[in-house]
Amino acid sequence: MFQGFPEIKEALISNQMQAAFMVAPMAIALRAQGVPIKIVYLGHRYGSAVVVHKDGGVRKFEDLRGKTVAIPSRFSDERLILFRAMEKHGMTAKDIRMVEMAPPDVAGALAAKAIDAFSMGEPYPSQAERTGFGRVLFHAKEYWPDYISCVLVVRQDVIDSKPEAVQVLVDGIARSGLWLDNPPKRQKRREHAADFVGRFYFRQDPGLLRWALTKPLDRVQYQPLTPLRKDFDLIVRLMRQTGVLDRDIEFSEYIEPRFAEGAKTQTEWIYEPGDSTAK
Amino acid sequence: MRKIILATAAWIVGITAAHTALNVDWNVAFNDRLPVAKRKLYVAYIPVT
Repeated sequence: MFQGFPEIKEALISNQMQAAFMVAPMAIALRAQGVPIKIVYLGHRYGSAVVVHKDGGVRKFEDLRGKTVAIPSRFSDERLILFRAMEKHGMTAKDIRMVEMAPPDVAGALAAKAIDAFSMGEPYPSQAERTGFGRVLFHAKEYWPDYISCVLVVRQDVIDSKPEAVQVLVDGIARSGLWLDNPPKRQKRREHAADFVGRFYFRQDPGLLRWALTKPLDRVQYQPLTPLRKDFDLIVRLMRQTGVLDRDIEFSEYIEPRFAEGAKTQTEWIYEPGDSTAK
Repeated sequence: MRKIILATAAWIVGITAAHTALNVDWNVAFNDRLPVAKRKLYVAYIPVT
């Protein structure tokens, strides 16, 4: 587990890590710079929001003019969503001061009023809401239908030498997504997943993750996770417009679609909360 | 003099042991020495969507 995307980037380049979940623009930028990686699957859809201090006087997006907003990275969808919102409200990059901040630090910074707002993935918007000092100004999907943020990237040498291992990984994510998004069982399964992940992976309060995964249930979605050209063409266009990508890059240059194709026949995990094993 | 040398040696051993236990990821270190086909795939993540 890492605490910031720059550290993940370095671990991936140095081959300390062979695969990683990272923000999509960072993956595209790395590939454009010649780093031998490919995006093989999405981590989720939606799950990012712009959050303001409850007492900060920001009631609508235009009120962010002149304010300081934290983002996880220059190479993040959370930054691009701000540009989309600014474009819609007739604002430019000069109207908002963006600062890069490690995701775990933003809720504390907002509580202390060191920043006026943050654009970040869950569970940090939930943390600000749950503890009472923050208010969601808007969820990413309000300005960006089919929004994606974190993607699964794998080093090219691993794709070439161990494609079966990559397929197992992608299949597992696909099955988990289907399991979490099964309509009649979503609430109970997501609560169970929050408890499990909070204790064993994220080391975060399970109550916070329950909030992020269930209030409301479509706050974060896990289908469809196949990388689609139209979604990535939009990200590349926004990256070019906002100056974080210095050349056009073809979809096929940074996407390896065969693992997502291979996962299309997968079904949800056969597992219910309380079972000892998953099949 | 002997006491100083022993104390220094104990300090160095203690610090070295603590460092290797806390700061070295032995799973990664051993994994790197395995044949490519047998190496585990390490997936990095941060606690955020």
